[in-house]
Amino acid sequence: MPASATFGPGPAFLPFWLAVILAIFATILFVSAWRRQATEKDHHSIFPGKTALIAITLVMVGLGVYIFLIEVLGYLSDTFLFIVFLMKAVEREKWPLTLMVAVCTTALLFFTFQFLLKITLPSNMFGF
Amino acid sequence: MYNIFDNMIMGFQVATSWENLLFCFIGVLIGTLIGVLPGIGPTTGIAILIPVTFGMSATTAIITMAGVYYGAMYGGSTTSILINLPGESASVVTMLDGYQMAKKGRPGPALGMAALASFIAGTFSIIMLTLLAPPLAGYAVSFGPPEYFCLTFMGLTLVSALGGDNPLKAYISSVLGLLISCVGIDAISGVSRFTYDNMNLLDGVGFIGMAIGLFAVAEILENIEEPIKQVFSDAKLGFLNLFPSRQDWKDSFGAIWRGSFLGFFIGILPGSGATLCSFIAYAVEKKLSKHPEKFGTGVIEGVAAPEGANNAAAGGGMVPLLTLGIPSGGATAVMLGALMIHGLRPGPMLFTTNPEFVWGLIASMYIGNVLLVILNMPLIGIWVQLLKVPYKVLMPLILTIAATGIFATDNNIFDMWIMFFFGVVGYLMRKLGFPEAPMVLALVLGRMVEMSLRQSLTISHGSLSIFFTRPISGVIMVVALISLFSPLFPILWNKYKGREAAA
Repeated sequence: MPASATFGPGPAFLPFWLAVILAIFATILFVSAWRRQATEKDHHSIFPGKTALIAITLVMVGLGVYIFLIEVLGYLSDTFLFIVFLMKAVEREKWPLTLMVAVCTTALLFFTFQFLLKITLPSNMFGF
Repeated sequence: MYNIFDNMIMGFQVATSWENLLFCFIGVLIGTLIGVLPGIGPTTGIAILIPVTFGMSATTAIITMAGVYYGAMYGGSTTSILINLPGESASVVTMLDGYQMAKKGRPGPALGMAALASFIAGTFSIIMLTLLAPPLAGYAVSFGPPEYFCLTFMGLTLVSALGGDNPLKAYISSVLGLLISCVGIDAISGVSRFTYDNMNLLDGVGFIGMAIGLFAVAEILENIEEPIKQVFSDAKLGFLNLFPSRQDWKDSFGAIWRGSFLGFFIGILPGSGATLCSFIAYAVEKKLSKHPEKFGTGVIEGVAAPEGANNAAAGGGMVPLLTLGIPSGGATAVMLGALMIHGLRPGPMLFTTNPEFVWGLIASMYIGNVLLVILNMPLIGIWVQLLKVPYKVLMPLILTIAATGIFATDNNIFDMWIMFFFGVVGYLMRKLGFPEAPMVLALVLGRMVEMSLRQSLTISHGSLSIFFTRPISGVIMVVALISLFSPLFPILWNKYKGREAAA
């Protein structure tokens, strides 16, 4: 117990002990992983092959750019472009399906959030 | 004195208002949909729905979210039986016998039994909830900070010890969750911690952003890595084919009741969740059966028991959530977070301060169960058709709903970055075998853990004995410690055995 026990533990009390516990757990995990025999599974990387890794990176980069641009491009155009990107770059779909999904999804979301739930979605400098 | 009968009438008055009826229906409909579609689980579904339920009253919101939760338990069995692919994890066991039944040309009775067993067990668990929750809440009103600390601590240790293959990783995940909950202004001293002068962090790490990131975004990334295979079923499903025969009923009667009891009472324990209940119910049924060797070849008890258990567990999980404010697993943790955002503090006082909320929810669950049987029995053909919607159409939809919803909760872009961050974290956690439910639970309970711990220690002038000397907290603490060290028992037992063999 810290010296301030009479006043009750302060704001650093829990984070400090959590860090101590975390360090103990991490050590146990590390030591037990070190000591145990390697299994068949350990010889394979846990990360996916190149194609899947590229697809995952594309989705996350796309999502990052989407969030970054949402107040610049406005909700409608940004969401539309994001879905087109997901369908074209990640899923490699044909244009007709891509455009259909992009238009329908954007319209559905805009209608639901802007009109049904009355939330002001970000708009661009031209007001949409 | 409370009167259950009066309260139920009031509950039904709340639940049958047109708005609540409509959203109860929408909730169970979305729940069934989420249950049917592989690649999106109930926790993800509820997390994505939180922002959408914002404009509603708290009662309507929780009715919708609870509907999604138990609705998913119904829907999950459909794909397990027809195409040997579980719609969500609580239906994994149903595959064992359900798919075999479908292969033998009896998909109808399997689906029908799954829906009817779900209905019976679901209704049973709501009746138990109605009877058990008020006295439990009345009892819990006297709980002080030490009891709450022990309860939350027990919740975290149980979730971690029961929730996955590697308890140590689960403990690490919950400690990390608690650390994340420390971010922001300290509620007792007013000092801001770990905010790095970022205004957005003063209020703590946004719960919705974290939950959606860990569940929805990480799930999407995982599905992109391993595309869900699309399998179609050509089973012909007439409405009349769905009814199990007299023999089927005879075979599964006991299984449904045992599944209901097991599901409800195990489901009450924090950390158990519906998945574990369905596994236990199946194992028990196999053990009690006169012909255990037939399990796995398409016996109807093997469908009835786990389906009953997972629905009963959904009802059981509401007991600790409503009476103590402690969720039993990932999905109820997300619901708890949502309730706090709506300004309600789930816990024993809820029954006295917001009776219309509690009883409205309970009454809506009776209605929802009836709606689900109607939705699932005649319309099952439509759900099967839905499986033809390709995931590549769903993926952009889920991702953009999630992102928009997060923006909508606070009109804050920063929350979207939290989702982004925890999406990556969640994906890595899944890859490395760290379960994410303990982390979310720890974030939701974090404030309560810290407040109750520090208040208790202030009361006791810094002595930890306060958690053991008070009778209720002492008992809970012992249970918590047993569950905390339970992963060690098998290891110690093996050592002991080994030494004995060597001697």
